[in-house]
Amino acid sequence: MQINLLHRPAQALAQVWLEPNESIVAESGAMVGMTTNVQMQTQSGGLMKGLKRMFGGESFFRNTFTAHNGNGELLLAHALSGDMSVLEMTQHGYFLQSSAFIASSPTVNIETKVGGFRGFFSGAGVFVLKAVSQGPGQVLVGGFGGIQELMCDGNIVIDTGHLVAWDATLTYTVGKSGAGWIASYLSGEGLVCHFKGQGRIWIQTRNPVEYGRSVGSQLPPRG
Amino acid sequence: MLQAPVEARDSRMNLATEGRPNVDPQQQQLVPAAPAGAEAPAYRDNSAQASIPHEITHGPAFAMLRVDLPPGQVVIAEAGAMVARHTGVAMDVKMNAGKDPGFFGMLKAIVIALIRKVVGGETFFVNHFSASQGGSVWIAPTMSGQVLHRRMNGETITLSTGAFLCSAGDVDMSLKFGGFRALFAREGAFFLEVSGRGDLWFTSYGGIEAIDVNGTYIVDNGHLVGYEGALTFDIRSAGGGLMGMVASGEGLVCEFKGQGRVYIQSRNHSSLLSWLRPLVGG
Amino acid sequence: MQYEVRQKPDFGIVAVRFDAPGEQLLVESSAMVARDTAMEMKTQMTGGILGAAKRKLLGGESIFQNTFTATAAGQTLWIAPGPEGDVQELICDGVTPVFMQSGAFLACAPTVQLDTKWGGAKGFFSGAGLFLLRAMGTGPLFFSCYGGIHPVDVGPNGYIVDTSHIVGWTGGLEYQVRKVGGLKSLFLSGEGLVCEFRGQGRVWVSTRNPSSLAAFLQPFRPVKNNG
Repeated sequence: MQINLLHRPAQALAQVWLEPNESIVAESGAMVGMTTNVQMQTQSGGLMKGLKRMFGGESFFRNTFTAHNGNGELLLAHALSGDMSVLEMTQHGYFLQSSAFIASSPTVNIETKVGGFRGFFSGAGVFVLKAVSQGPGQVLVGGFGGIQELMCDGNIVIDTGHLVAWDATLTYTVGKSGAGWIASYLSGEGLVCHFKGQGRIWIQTRNPVEYGRSVGSQLPPRG
Repeated sequence: MLQAPVEARDSRMNLATEGRPNVDPQQQQLVPAAPAGAEAPAYRDNSAQASIPHEITHGPAFAMLRVDLPPGQVVIAEAGAMVARHTGVAMDVKMNAGKDPGFFGMLKAIVIALIRKVVGGETFFVNHFSASQGGSVWIAPTMSGQVLHRRMNGETITLSTGAFLCSAGDVDMSLKFGGFRALFAREGAFFLEVSGRGDLWFTSYGGIEAIDVNGTYIVDNGHLVGYEGALTFDIRSAGGGLMGMVASGEGLVCEFKGQGRVYIQSRNHSSLLSWLRPLVGG
Repeated sequence: MQYEVRQKPDFGIVAVRFDAPGEQLLVESSAMVARDTAMEMKTQMTGGILGAAKRKLLGGESIFQNTFTATAAGQTLWIAPGPEGDVQELICDGVTPVFMQSGAFLACAPTVQLDTKWGGAKGFFSGAGLFLLRAMGTGPLFFSCYGGIHPVDVGPNGYIVDTSHIVGWTGGLEYQVRKVGGLKSLFLSGEGLVCEFRGQGRVWVSTRNPSSLAAFLQPFRPVKNNG
């Protein structure tokens, strides 16, 4: 499988080339186009797992795309404008912000990790996923805005709305941004995450929740 | 197959090859000062004196600013703009009241901030970042677009209020009222007059283009980032007659007169909303 | 008339310079960014009252367009679409028609005719009131979309595109709208309708999808007060 990222950095489109009978698992709604010999199968990964995802706010199903009778091409895209990154699986795996996940090799196991993450993100329906795999594999993530890789060498504080993914080797605590609740509210900053340890963190240069509030609040009201 | 005629003057699309047009670099510049491509803004960055060390990455679409604070220096940023910071960087929330406000200065700031909140949705507070041992802070605006740096050397530049991102040094800002009619132009009610010596970082929604004005020029209100030079402006209806005023979608425009430079952005909040409205239904 | 599309693919903006008085450009209403004061701007209902009414009935597309006419050589005009994304220019050759999703139209020379093409288009696009526009004529045509514009050259083997990502295509292609993967996937997979293209031509695909943006913004909208 080869993933080419086109139209970077703002309108990134993933062009996935599949060998015969090779598959990729992608978030529902991510497909833009494909050659006619790629077939899509909807899998829930079991009813209980699917339900767990549904209550987690994530969409119910993922799709597996497989190329038959020759090589196939598949185009994948994200909902919001921005860049994409291909993360190679490591021994420890990654934590991902849920809406950043676009696709992964079938060998990667994606779980919704419950516990320790309540209220992590101030946005509705956004939560944390964990990606682990026994062997090599790839995860395709997308961000709102550009994606910047930061090296955490000790400690760093990051606004949670800007988090895309991070190495599972890091430890983290979520807190409010300012000295007290009032200061945090006035400062306009939402929740921040204090990271400790050694590892990489991928951030997006725009905050979807802030963008949503700024634009959505001026749209006509919904019933 | 659609074959594009080869004409020396125009950009053309040849369907047989990649869809991107061949822009002739030798082509006469349509706007004298605007550079080809979207990387460098066409205005004086003026970094003759030392600016605070910083880097703007991920431009031109999703630009983010990283400021590396020397010990003791303060950077003032629009509230809500912080992306990340080193743990040693302190963040203090303060009212957006200018350098040494005094009691009346504070009062004036409160009144203006309330008006701005009602009219333009601007925030009341700014964040002061400082690091006793040095440290970095990453700052980004809400909308997509560029972040531009300007080293201020005593000159004055006027920005639309949404364009301010952060500043450092001895930079003073005062609000200018755009005139009564400006109140109807959602984006145009207030302008920020920035002067002094120091660093200024401002943003554009979309990319920024510079237009040199010598005479008169019309700019759609929502696309205005700022201007400098000997320019005055008037807010008027877009034209097109009575039907134009109601239906053309242009609403109000800014007519600039004089000599100077106007900075425009390639996207506009109101246009985005108009485009979105039929999509969200409701 | 000279023009340059700048800031591709993120914030496509078109800078136009008119070479002679009388030159004209037809522009989607609300797309003007800046212009020389002396230029004439006239607002009209495109295609006359009947044509405009036909389009208004379907909703969505603005029934107004602005015609900018130069009054002197060297006047400049800047135009940009509403959403963040790319602008594509084409020189129409008078022989091949170009079909596009109605919201994609940005501007064209008056020598390019725009027509609303009905047949087989109902339900084609997922947005409210979007329909097909057919452009035919000679001269420049500009269209835009939310996201980048990715061209796909289609041959006899065909290509499948998610309908909400289609911007436009050239004549010479046959298309069929269908659901992908069977009935279960229509409702559950998140992929709605797809369009299968076959023949010889080019399809322009947007790298982003307006309905996904609308769905993303939905929870942030103010809630109507019923009471």
